[in-house]
Amino acid sequence: MNAEKKKRHVGAKIAIIVIIAYLLLPLVMTLIYSLFQEWIDVMPTGFTLGAYTELFTDPLFWQSVGRTVIISIVPIVLCTVFVLLAMYVVVVYHPEWDRMIQILCTIPYAIQGVILPICVLSLYSSAPEPFGDRMFMLVATYMVVILPYVYQGIRNNLNGVGASRLIEAAQMLGASKFYAFFRVVIPNIMGGVTISVMLAMAIVFGDFVIINTLAGGHFMTAQMYLYDVMKKSGQRTCAVIVILFLVTLIISACAFFLQSRGKDRKDR
Amino acid sequence: MKTQKKTYLIALAPFLLLCILFEIIPVIYTVVRSFFPEGGDIGFTLENYINIFTGKLYQQAIINSLLISVLSSAIGLAVAFIGAKAVHEEKGKLKTVFMSILNMVSNFSGVPLAFAYIIMFGNIGVMTMIGANYGIGFLAEFPLYSVWGLLLIYVYFQIPLSTLLLIPAFDSIRKEWKEAVALLGGSSMTFWRKVGIPVLMPSILGTFSVLFANALAAYASAYALLMNNVSLLPIRLSEQFVGDIIQRPEFGSAIAVVMMVFMVAAIAVQNRMTPKKGGRR
Amino acid sequence: MAYIEFKNIDKFYGDNHVLKGINLEINKGDFVTLLGPSGCGKSTLLRCLAGLEQISGGQIMLDGEDITNKDPKDRNIGMVFQQYSLFPNMTVEENLSFGLKLQKLDPAEIRRRVTDAIDMVELKGKEKEYPANLSGGQQQRVALARGIVMQPKVLLLDEPLSAIDAKLRKSLQTSIRRIHKDLGLTSVFVTHDQDEAMVMSDVIHLFHDGRIEQSGSPVEVYTKPVTSFAAGFIGNYNILDSRAMELITGKKWKDGQIAIRPETFFLSRNPITTEDYCMQGTIRDSVPRGNVLRYTIDINNVEVYADVLFRSTSMYNIGDRLNIGVSDHNCVRL
Repeated sequence: MNAEKKKRHVGAKIAIIVIIAYLLLPLVMTLIYSLFQEWIDVMPTGFTLGAYTELFTDPLFWQSVGRTVIISIVPIVLCTVFVLLAMYVVVVYHPEWDRMIQILCTIPYAIQGVILPICVLSLYSSAPEPFGDRMFMLVATYMVVILPYVYQGIRNNLNGVGASRLIEAAQMLGASKFYAFFRVVIPNIMGGVTISVMLAMAIVFGDFVIINTLAGGHFMTAQMYLYDVMKKSGQRTCAVIVILFLVTLIISACAFFLQSRGKDRKDR
Repeated sequence: MKTQKKTYLIALAPFLLLCILFEIIPVIYTVVRSFFPEGGDIGFTLENYINIFTGKLYQQAIINSLLISVLSSAIGLAVAFIGAKAVHEEKGKLKTVFMSILNMVSNFSGVPLAFAYIIMFGNIGVMTMIGANYGIGFLAEFPLYSVWGLLLIYVYFQIPLSTLLLIPAFDSIRKEWKEAVALLGGSSMTFWRKVGIPVLMPSILGTFSVLFANALAAYASAYALLMNNVSLLPIRLSEQFVGDIIQRPEFGSAIAVVMMVFMVAAIAVQNRMTPKKGGRR
Repeated sequence: MAYIEFKNIDKFYGDNHVLKGINLEINKGDFVTLLGPSGCGKSTLLRCLAGLEQISGGQIMLDGEDITNKDPKDRNIGMVFQQYSLFPNMTVEENLSFGLKLQKLDPAEIRRRVTDAIDMVELKGKEKEYPANLSGGQQQRVALARGIVMQPKVLLLDEPLSAIDAKLRKSLQTSIRRIHKDLGLTSVFVTHDQDEAMVMSDVIHLFHDGRIEQSGSPVEVYTKPVTSFAAGFIGNYNILDSRAMELITGKKWKDGQIAIRPETFFLSRNPITTEDYCMQGTIRDSVPRGNVLRYTIDINNVEVYADVLFRSTSMYNIGDRLNIGVSDHNCVRL
C-alpha cells in the first residue's frame, strides 16, 4: 500500500514536471532568441541586449504600449460602472431580473473571437457618427467582450458580501437604498471586483482580432506593433513578446497580490 | 412616490444600451443579412448558405475548423486530465509552482504564441535547423505551416485553460470514496473507471465545450502564422469583410451565422451538463 | 392604547398567502416573542414592521402613527439580524456610528452614545476591531449595540441567536434580557426555539401557517395550550383522543383531543392514591434526555411518554410493570 502510494506520488510529480517543461519551452526559446544574434545550432551565439535597447529607444513602441493601456482601461472602467449601475437595480429593486442580466452577459461567449467585431463592423461601418467612429466601435466591442468576466466578478462579490442583507441593515440605520448600495456595499466589493477586472484587462491587452478587424492599421496597439515587427526582425519580435508578456504578468501578479492580501485580512 | 419609483430604472439604461446596440442588434442584423441576396438587393434567399455548404473552399473551412477544434480540445483535455489528477494527488510546493505556471502561460496565446512556434519549427526555426544539421528528418521537415502545425499551436493554448478548468472539479472527489472502493477490493484503476470519471463527466464535457468554442473562434494564431492561406472559418469569415479580396458582406454574414450555431451548440451542451453536476453534490 | 398595532395584516408572495389577517397589539416596554416553526410567517411579520417588506393589506401603527407606507429609514426602528449583517469594511466603532453620522449628530454626542452602547454589550477594548476578527457571539453583540445605539422606538430581533453555539447563546440571552430591562426598550423577538421563547419573553405569540395560534404569557402558553398544534409545538405534549383516554383512565371522555405533558405523570412501584386517575402500565423504552429520563409506557395498548427526573430512586427497567397516576387538571382539553 505504502509503496504503491509512493509510486503514484512519483508519477504525479513526473506528470507535472513534463507538462511544465512543455509549457515553458516556447517561452524560454523566445527569451533566448531575443538575447542572441544567431541561433542555428544547438547553442545560440553572440549574446546581445541590442534588441531591447533598440526597442526601448523606439518612440513608436512606447506609443503603442500607451495606446494599449488606454484602450484597455477605458472600456474596463466604463463596463464596470455600467454593470454596477445595472446590479444596483437588480439587487435593490428587481432580483428577478438577474436572470435576464445573466443571459445578456453570457451571450458574448457565443460570439467570441472574430464573430462579434465582424458583426459590429458590418452594422456600423457606414453608420453616422459616433457609431461609425472606429474608436467608438472598438471601445464598445471591448466592453461587450469583457462583460462576462466583469459581471461574474461583480455578482460573486455581491453574493459573497451578502449585499441585500447589508442594504437592509443600512436601511434600518436610516440610510436610503441608493446610499446603502453605493456607500456601503460598493466599498466592500471594490477589492474583489478590481481583481476580476484586472484579469479582464489581460484579455484586452492580448487582443489582436478585434483591433485588427475594427481598426486595421490605423490604431497601432502593442499587438499590432508586434505583428508589424514580425515581418522585419525575428530577434526584435521576440524582445517585444518578452516585454509584453512581462507586462501581462505584472497585471495578473498585481491581481493575485491583491487577492492574497484580501484573504490575509480576512484571516487575521 | 410613484414618480420616484421609476427613476431608478435610469441606472439600468447604460448597460441595456450597450447590450442592445453592440450585442443584440449586431447579431440580429448579421442573421437577417445572411438571408439577403448578394449585391445589396432586398429579398430572401438561402443561396448564401447553399454556397457555404457546396463550395469546396468553404466546405474545407468547416471541416478544418471542426477537425482542429475537436482534436485540439480532445488532446488538451487528455493532458489536462493527467495534469489535474497529478495536482489532486500532489500537495505542496510543486503544486503551487504548477498552478502559477498555468496561470502565467494561459496569457501566452495569439500572435506571440504563433511566433514562438515559428522560431522553433518555422522555415529557419531552431528545431528545424538542428534537425537539418543532424539529419533528424522529423524535425527538419516539420509541417508547421499547415493545419497540423496549427493543431500543435492550438493544443498549446488549450492545455493551461483546460487544466485550470478541471482542477476545481477534482476537488469534488473525496478521499473516502477511494477508501471505500479499496475496502471493497477495487484497485485504483477500478476507482477511476467506476467512480472517478463518472463523477467528473459533467465537468469534463463542460470543459470540452469551452475548449471547443475557444478553438473554433481563435483567429490571431492562425492569421499570424498563415495569413489568409489556411481554410478556417474565422479566416474565411474575416476576409469577407476586411482585407484585399472583394468584400461579400451577405455571404460573410452566413458564415458568421454558421459559426454562431456551432458555438451555441457547444455552449448548450455545457449548460445541460451544469445542473447535473449540482444535483450530484 | 397599544404601542404597536397590527390591523388585519395580509401578505402574499405571488399566490402564497403567508400572513392571513393578523391582528396583534404590543404594549410599550414589553419583550414580545413571535414563536413558530420555519415558514409560519413570524419573520415576515417582523420584516413588515421594519418596512423591509410591503404588506398586501392592513395597517401598521407605531406610537399612534400610521407607518404602513413609510420607508424603513424613516420608521426609527432598530433591527438585529440572524447573520449579524455588520459592515465588514468598518470597525466596531464605525459600525455603531454609521446611523448616528447619517443623522448628522454632534461628534461628541456620537462618541458618548457609541461608548455607552459598547459598554452595555460588554465589548470594551474591541472598538477598533474589524468584524472579521471577532467571534460569532461578539459580532452579534456588536449588531445588538448597533441596534440600540440609535435609540429606536422598537428593537426587532430576527432569530439573532440561531447562528450561535449553545453555550454562548445562554450568555447572549442574558445580555439581551438585561439590556431590555435597563433601557425599557419595546422589543420584538423572533425565534423557532420554544425554550428560548420561554426564557426571554413577557408575552409569546405562537404562529402557525400565517395565523396567530395562541397568545399569552410563557406560563399560560406552556400549561394551557389551546390547540393540538400549540400542545405539540410547545411542550412535547402527549396528545390523545377521547377513545385512548377512555382506555387508560377507564372513564368516559367527551369527544375531542386531550393534551398531557410528559412530566405530569407520576410513576411508582407502589399503589398510587393521590392522583385523580390511577392506572398500570409496562415500560417499553427509556431514553435519557438531559436531566430527565423519558419512558415510553404502554397503558392498555396506548403508548404515552412520561418524563421523570434522573434519580436512582426513579430508575425502571424495560418490561417493568408500574403504577401511573395523573391529575385531572393536567389533562388539558384542546
